[in-house]
Amino acid sequence: MTIKEKLKKMIVEELNLEEIQPEEIDDDAPLFGEGLGLDSLDAVELVVLVEKHFGVEIKNLDKGRIAFQSINSLAAFIEERNAQ
Amino acid sequence: MRLSIQGVGVVGGFGCGVEALNHALANRESRTQSVSVKTAQGMRQMPAFLADTSKIEDFVNKKALRRVDHYSKLALLGAYLALEDAGQLEADRQRMGMIIATGYGASRTTFAFLDSFKEDGDKFSSPTHFSNSVHNAAVANVSMLLGITGPGLTVSQFEISVSSALFTVRNWLKEGRVDSVLFGAIDEYCDVLGYCWHRFFGEQEDAGQGMNPLSFNLQSAVPGEGAAFFLLTREENGGQSPYGFIEAVEMGRCGKEKLEVPEEVMLIIGADGHKKCGSYYKRYVPEIAPTVCYTPIYGSLPVGSAFDLAIAALSIKNKKVFPSPKNGCDKPGIKIVSNEQALGNRSICCLKIGGGGEWGKMTLAPFPLTRP
Amino acid sequence: MRSSSVAITGLGCLCAPGNNLGECMVSLFKGDREPAPPLRFTSSHSGSYPVFEVPDDLASLNHKGISDISLTARLALAAAHEAVGDAGLDREWLRSKRVGICMGTTVGSAMNNEAFYRQYCRDEEPDMAPITRFLHSNPASVLAREFDLTGPCQTVVNACSSGTDAVGLGAFWIQSGLCDIVLAGGADELCHVTYNGFISLMITDDLPCKPFDRERKGLNLGEGAAVLVLESEECRRNRKKQARAFVLGYGASCDAYHLTAPHPQGKGLRRAIEEAMELSGSAASDLAFINAHGTGTKDNDRVEAQVLNDLFPGIPFLSTKGYTGHTLGAAGAIEAAFTVACLEEGRVPKNAGFATPDPDLPASPVQSGMAVKETVALSESLAFGGHNAVLVIGIERGLL
Repeated sequence: MTIKEKLKKMIVEELNLEEIQPEEIDDDAPLFGEGLGLDSLDAVELVVLVEKHFGVEIKNLDKGRIAFQSINSLAAFIEERNAQ
Repeated sequence: MRLSIQGVGVVGGFGCGVEALNHALANRESRTQSVSVKTAQGMRQMPAFLADTSKIEDFVNKKALRRVDHYSKLALLGAYLALEDAGQLEADRQRMGMIIATGYGASRTTFAFLDSFKEDGDKFSSPTHFSNSVHNAAVANVSMLLGITGPGLTVSQFEISVSSALFTVRNWLKEGRVDSVLFGAIDEYCDVLGYCWHRFFGEQEDAGQGMNPLSFNLQSAVPGEGAAFFLLTREENGGQSPYGFIEAVEMGRCGKEKLEVPEEVMLIIGADGHKKCGSYYKRYVPEIAPTVCYTPIYGSLPVGSAFDLAIAALSIKNKKVFPSPKNGCDKPGIKIVSNEQALGNRSICCLKIGGGGEWGKMTLAPFPLTRP
Repeated sequence: MRSSSVAITGLGCLCAPGNNLGECMVSLFKGDREPAPPLRFTSSHSGSYPVFEVPDDLASLNHKGISDISLTARLALAAAHEAVGDAGLDREWLRSKRVGICMGTTVGSAMNNEAFYRQYCRDEEPDMAPITRFLHSNPASVLAREFDLTGPCQTVVNACSSGTDAVGLGAFWIQSGLCDIVLAGGADELCHVTYNGFISLMITDDLPCKPFDRERKGLNLGEGAAVLVLESEECRRNRKKQARAFVLGYGASCDAYHLTAPHPQGKGLRRAIEEAMELSGSAASDLAFINAHGTGTKDNDRVEAQVLNDLFPGIPFLSTKGYTGHTLGAAGAIEAAFTVACLEEGRVPKNAGFATPDPDLPASPVQSGMAVKETVALSESLAFGGHNAVLVIGIERGLL
């Protein structure tokens, strides 16, 4: 499974988005606000999930905000951190 | 000042809604399910009264429920059922307050939060579980979905939670702080509770016989869960009020004197098969009033007296006293009502006594103060 | 004083700055604060987050004849004893009156004993003592047993506004003639579970907290308890007891917005403030200062500063959480006690932790200790889950 596929599956399962299939999440769609409609509580939950499933730490929400814009940005963030 | 009961919403081992409760009462049903308890001797089976919250999806879409746990779902379902029963689902809720009573709070999510970090490490603590684990999460979740912007309160006082919370319901309405209160009580069953039950009470002598709360010397309690919700207003805003009126709410502690109940009253006692509380009921329940005990319908839980309140309301609406499901009483002087009978113009008193002798009493009257 | 005012005749307070209210106020006016990593528990977080801990071997926390209750309950008892003593009351007199108890808490009602749960999960048959302790530690019930009281008894679990709510609710019991005396307050102990919870929400600061400051990163947790003795006019006149202050009004309202974030325009807070002010009969110009909730989180302080600037422009406001940490269920009660003491002294301490104004906030808090001459103040709390609670407290200066 690619990082993006793994991310989509994680988001759907762990954030309990029952009505959507992982494949239906557009790589570029906004995760917060519109798009998937996640909120600030999902954001902090995602921080924990990213650490748990990918071993990447997000130290503060300002960094998180940029990474969380879309699946693409989050996958890129994880890849960059893992390369370090 | 008296309170009018506008609507009742209940969910528990008996099913969902006042009709299900009515049916269980009429048929003296004790609907338990088997739960597994992890003991040092291996997995044990134990009965419990479990509540199914799936009907919440009749009121709220799945998406809005994605982060809502069992505790808050019980609250939501109770709340929506009470508002629906009162015909008030569409009403404005800016002058509505909300009060919840709970003995143990969101226990399942409390342990789910511990699970999130206890093996993997503190940095994996789940903020969603933490946010839902606080007792007041139910008020938060219900007020958000129903748009209730008056004051909110969560009260936790073990067996006296319901009376204590209702005491404040009455005060808010008396004060004019709000015009209506959505009042509810919730407690949920969880694995750890089952384990504690097993450790504290062990194998019960009459396992398989079910609850026998009127045998006060026996330990026969079966854990229950559920929610009982009420929409309450001041009497003068209550209209017809087929469920009657809450006349008094009192709290105290058992002392040297007998507990007073008004004469000519129907007494519902919240004895629920715990030996420790049973000794207080045996000693202090007055012998003058015809007495019933409905805990075998919904089980043993700290906020059980909210179900007694719901049953009292149903009795008034149906103008009858439901029979006590189990009659065997080991105190000869108490008059147990074992068959259905007319309520007449009697008031109903719901009495709950806790393990330390603390008690709560709620009195309901069937008729308005000024009868036509 | 209006007929609806409720006298406060005794105060007790125990938290990081001091073991009683007097000691606390000395610390606050000195500007002392010493948040430090927790001692009572360890954590596997890579960093540590400072907390405001109370030494749990204090003499006042050791209650003779009462064993096996939680630290939260012991904190509550210590504050209650100080308050009852301050009011000049004793157990026998209290037993002869209609006395109610209304206490706020969060941890105090949570059955989350980690050691017990770990052992249970590992099939190790844990000792049941932690469960028994939990069942005996309901704060309001503990006070009722200690003082042998049989009046209304209520433990309020309203997250961060519990203490403010308890005082407001208790005041009505006096006002409506249900009780002669009410012991109202709040108590909460620091615990590993709560520590993890707030860190997971990313609203804690790894440095001493900076309420309203541009560089603020979040809250520091604290622990403690405070109890106010509320008394009917008839009662206190009969025993010729001076009131230290009065509860003039209480307002409360739900945001109905979000599980963890406050309403962005502070809708519920505004409503609660307006209600409290109206019930108190006070105007903005009567206010000496506002004891803000001021946890030091980005969201809370932004919303609060906006609301306070809209409703009370120019009126000094400060958060005392820079001295105590966020004591959760105890916070509202501790802050009510501080509000009384500040009114009595005619001065407020600086808002500890504040150094740099935040350009996103329309106003800044009190930056150095200052004298105040008005006789009324506001104390407010914004709870997790969106509840807002506000108290208006006043003193009668001429009579002191």
